[in-house]
Amino acid sequence: MSIAELADRVARENPGCRVSERYGNQLELKSPVRQWVTTLSQLKTAGFEHLSNLACVDWIDQDELELLANLWSHARRVHVTVKTRVPREAPAVPTVHALWPQAGVYEREIHEFFGVDFPGNPELEPMFLHNWKDLPPLRKDFDTREYSRRAYGFLEEEQE
Amino acid sequence: MSDMLSISREEILDGRWERILNFFRSRSLWMLYYCTGCGAIELPPSMTSRFDLERFGIGPMATPRQSDILLITGYISLKTLKRVVRTYEQMPEPKWVVGFGSCPINGGIYWDSYATVNHLEKYIPVDVSIAGCMPRPQAVIDGLQKLMRLIQRGEAVGYKKYQLNNQWYKTNQREVLERTEPVLAPASSARAEKRARRAEAAGALVGEPAGGAS
Amino acid sequence: MSVLKSILAGFAAMAVGLFFMGVGRQISARLQRRVGPPLWQPYVDVIKCFARKSTSHHFIMDLGSMMGLAGLVAAATLLPVAGWLPFPSGGPLIVILYLMPIGYLGMAMGVSASGNPLAAIGIGRALTLMVGYEVPFAILLLSIVAAFNTSLLSVMAQVQSGGLGTWNAVRMPLGFIAALIAMQAMLAEKPFDAMIAPAEIASGPMVELGGKFLGMAFLQHAVSIYVVTGLVVNMFLGGAASVPVFFLKQLVLFSLTMGVNGIFARFRIEQATAFLWLSAGSLALVQLVLNLILY
Repeated sequence: MSIAELADRVARENPGCRVSERYGNQLELKSPVRQWVTTLSQLKTAGFEHLSNLACVDWIDQDELELLANLWSHARRVHVTVKTRVPREAPAVPTVHALWPQAGVYEREIHEFFGVDFPGNPELEPMFLHNWKDLPPLRKDFDTREYSRRAYGFLEEEQE
Repeated sequence: MSDMLSISREEILDGRWERILNFFRSRSLWMLYYCTGCGAIELPPSMTSRFDLERFGIGPMATPRQSDILLITGYISLKTLKRVVRTYEQMPEPKWVVGFGSCPINGGIYWDSYATVNHLEKYIPVDVSIAGCMPRPQAVIDGLQKLMRLIQRGEAVGYKKYQLNNQWYKTNQREVLERTEPVLAPASSARAEKRARRAEAAGALVGEPAGGAS
Repeated sequence: MSVLKSILAGFAAMAVGLFFMGVGRQISARLQRRVGPPLWQPYVDVIKCFARKSTSHHFIMDLGSMMGLAGLVAAATLLPVAGWLPFPSGGPLIVILYLMPIGYLGMAMGVSASGNPLAAIGIGRALTLMVGYEVPFAILLLSIVAAFNTSLLSVMAQVQSGGLGTWNAVRMPLGFIAALIAMQAMLAEKPFDAMIAPAEIASGPMVELGGKFLGMAFLQHAVSIYVVTGLVVNMFLGGAASVPVFFLKQLVLFSLTMGVNGIFARFRIEQATAFLWLSAGSLALVQLVLNLILY
């Protein structure tokens, strides 16, 4: 099955998503949030059984957070990136913890660093940050230099 | 925040009987094999055959109770700082802290990171700092020999500073480890969004600090 | 008078043992193509240990550490050194083999009182290893008793005083090899140092020892080196005519031990015990049977 045929099959099985081919053996799927879990489970049964990771991008100009899932099919050696967008205010994405247990760890990290809620995920406690009270730090409106200056102090100020 | 006590240096330097013991202490330093950060990669080359550290009497020891030196090799995140303070307080006296690399001195390459502290001096007393990112084994040996000379002269008294200024150190530690308030001025996200959109419409840079003056 | 001689023997045991440890560290360093610490480094280490503050978790920890050192120093006072007997006893091997485990049991008691689970694991391994090496050593004792009808070390040394041909190392080679293997375990050197294991259990029994307790543990190790090598020299290498020659023979044995230490990796505790019983134990058994037949 060539890439084009695979893209057609995936588009047929997931109505409502936009499928496009990227370079080489990569496909890209843009899916609305309400179809996130069904799309991923369809792809899993279609042969993309390996979830490489879940990532998040902060599109601050467009006021949206984008979630990406990278799936890999060992049999066909094809890579699929599934993307979905949620608004930056009170973002929530249904969890895919039931499909892949390891997704729970990635969702925990995205929850800690971007503030995205994953209803259904049993463990969303903080993993890296110690006693964090501010904005989720990987959001683009978080000023890390200012935080470091106020929390830990820089030398130039203390030498006055 | 209380200030450091002003105690004259002469009062806390070691006395004459201590100097005799310091002769032995400086020639048999045991360091805790606790590699806190990325700089620990320079410890195995310093200890193995080429740049042998054992010929100075410096050897690795497994637990804080047995060791004299605590090496802070590299950056210190908040989680590490909590454990480092606990380890430092477990060590029996006399004990010394050596800061490896630029990160304990002024933050190093992680100076603008929200997760790493910038000055280790504020939380535990550091006797000798070895600059570099990371210092090569030659620099490591140079720094440790400087520590040996300081101990011999009775001037490596960081642990006494910690005892005398304990309140100051504890205040700094609690300020960083037990926060109750957000550091950047809290702004609800709706207000921040409106401000960002207004700033964007006016042609300014996007991504100004949420608490920035506007 | 014997009280003074016993005290002197105790200090001599510590001093000689620490010197041997220094030589051992130099041997390890040279095997690894390093310069290594100076020969007096263990003296500096022990003085530094006693010059630190230490934390004690329980009064049993204090008592246990002292008992550990005391048991081994008591064994050292009973060891005949080239005819010089600190304690007028003739060097009873059975009593020495009885006093040495008292040292380890005292250390076990003191260290378990520290409350650290890693210490408990280390002590478990140390006592398991003791089961491993006491069995071949006891069989060797029986074989020498069968040969010479005596269990006194000074008599054993005297029987072998007729030159190289009369040494038990030459007359009972299998027993000598078994004694060397058992000695490696008694000194807790690789491949039998699972009880220390710094990377696994954070130095096992010594995990909570700091300051003076660590100093006493060091001295206990030094005295155990002196006693164990002294035992093997008296049993198999013919004692000695003078004290310096005795120390020289002890040093040769300890250098052999440290040489093996520098080359081998570490056995797991069950591998170590099985190896000790199967190899050293079987050699000692064969030697026992041979001695019963020949003598």
